[in-house]
Amino acid sequence: MYQFFIEPFTFPFMGRALAVMVVLGALAGTVGVLILLRRLAFITDALTHTVFPGVVIGHLLSGDGGIFWGALAAGAATAALLTLLTRHRAVTEDTALAVLLTTFFAVGVVLVSRQSGYTADLTAFLFGRVLTVTGQQLAQTLAVTVLVIAILALLRRPLIARAFDPQGAQAAGYRIGMLDLVTNTIIALVVVASVRAVGTVLVIALLIVPAAAARAMSDRLALIVPLAAVLGALAGWAGLAISYDASIHHGLRLASGGTVVLVLIACYAGALAAGTIRRRLRVRRPPIRGSAA
Amino acid sequence: MSTREEAEVRPQALRLEEVSVAYGPALALEKIDGGVAPGEAVALIGPNGAGKSTLIKAILGLVPLAAGRVTVLGTSPAQARRDVAYVPQADTLDPEFPISVGQVVLMGRYRRIGWLRRPKAADKQAAHRALEQVGLADRARHRFGTLSGGQRQRVLLARAIAAEPRLLLLDEPFNGVDAVSEQALLDAIAALKKQGAAVVVATHDLALAHLACEEVCLLDRKQFGFGPTRATLTPDRLRATYGGHALELRGDRVIVAHS
Repeated sequence: MYQFFIEPFTFPFMGRALAVMVVLGALAGTVGVLILLRRLAFITDALTHTVFPGVVIGHLLSGDGGIFWGALAAGAATAALLTLLTRHRAVTEDTALAVLLTTFFAVGVVLVSRQSGYTADLTAFLFGRVLTVTGQQLAQTLAVTVLVIAILALLRRPLIARAFDPQGAQAAGYRIGMLDLVTNTIIALVVVASVRAVGTVLVIALLIVPAAAARAMSDRLALIVPLAAVLGALAGWAGLAISYDASIHHGLRLASGGTVVLVLIACYAGALAAGTIRRRLRVRRPPIRGSAA
Repeated sequence: MSTREEAEVRPQALRLEEVSVAYGPALALEKIDGGVAPGEAVALIGPNGAGKSTLIKAILGLVPLAAGRVTVLGTSPAQARRDVAYVPQADTLDPEFPISVGQVVLMGRYRRIGWLRRPKAADKQAAHRALEQVGLADRARHRFGTLSGGQRQRVLLARAIAAEPRLLLLDEPFNGVDAVSEQALLDAIAALKKQGAAVVVATHDLALAHLACEEVCLLDRKQFGFGPTRATLTPDRLRATYGGHALELRGDRVIVAHS
């Protein structure tokens, strides 16, 4: 166990990779619960695609250091655009959203295809390169995490009220437009923070799967949030350990990002099975659950 | 209709003065005029698309007025919001949402609790009392979505009661509600009125208007009557409001056929 789960991470580059994956897993798991409650999976998918050209432009302008800021600019722009579009009901149609995301994505692909190291760059942007994460990038990830968790803690009641009952929340005086902008911005921030480590494509799994697995295991929000965070973090750890072990001891090169996602999917399958068994068992008992508030 | 004269004598919880609301170039509501006194209820009655929900939004201050004025508890709708509670239709809410009945009712206290503080004992007591008032105190720990439609509607009313409103707005609260839940809703509304709250109910249900409301507002974009229930719900006025959908039975009773 020690050899499998601890030893690989005594190398500095593996240690940094582990820190980033665990922090990102916990962050994405937590934010994923908000996505689940608001049913924003498709919007999130759109965001991951629209951040891509920002990544490419940032890289073109100032190399690796520009990626974060390019992604941030694109993410902020899309968050604002999506809030506006959904607010005025222009994007109730999936089609409009699909057109928007493929357009952005194509722009990114066209831009990256002008580079000489085309395929390598494209792969890195899409699937990430967690093993080359620097100390500075780790610091950026930590800063985003602290910021997002603080916002979620501060706004948890308005966000829950809005997710549960938009009309009621509006009637109670909550500013729906502001809350939606904050939500979209938070999702964009997580996508941006994850670009280096897992790429713009795999981050959707980090955001959706831990929350879905946690939801399958519990009906209580107070449990779902920590469960999703822990699942995300553990899957990050296990995925890295597995891909390291496979390539060092078995000569099998497994991409770390992809391995993390597959571990997550396995967790989800397990959670679904556990949830089914739990519901079967509960049929025989009266449905009494944890505290009311 | 003596609403106008009464307004001078009694302070009104809600006052509508020639309220018009426009969506784009078309008027959704035209010159709605009337009021509700504390402790009384008014039923908004009219066909689908008559503008009942729009009028409720206007009272909540959520749609801009094209003309006229809405006065809630002596002030503007936006300023009165703390003392106004709104009950949406239960079936518009996500039944899969991971939230317990007790938590839904506690939401009625959120504005008082604020963003960061934990709920105080007083908040939890208010939520519990509200749930007792709709007869569902034993369901506090169940997930909201596991309850029947009528029970969910009662939970949403309990959430409104927990907010201790002086004006209560309900949007079609009796749609798809069983007899037991209907009685529980009526009892809870009566109790609120006794405590001095004014109530506005948008509904299709003429029987409910007779049972629970002192006044009715008949509307189909325009106002076809606003006044005491018995005097206002006349066959002629109902036919005018519902057009061809109103059918007369035995001279003095009218039923309304919905498409």
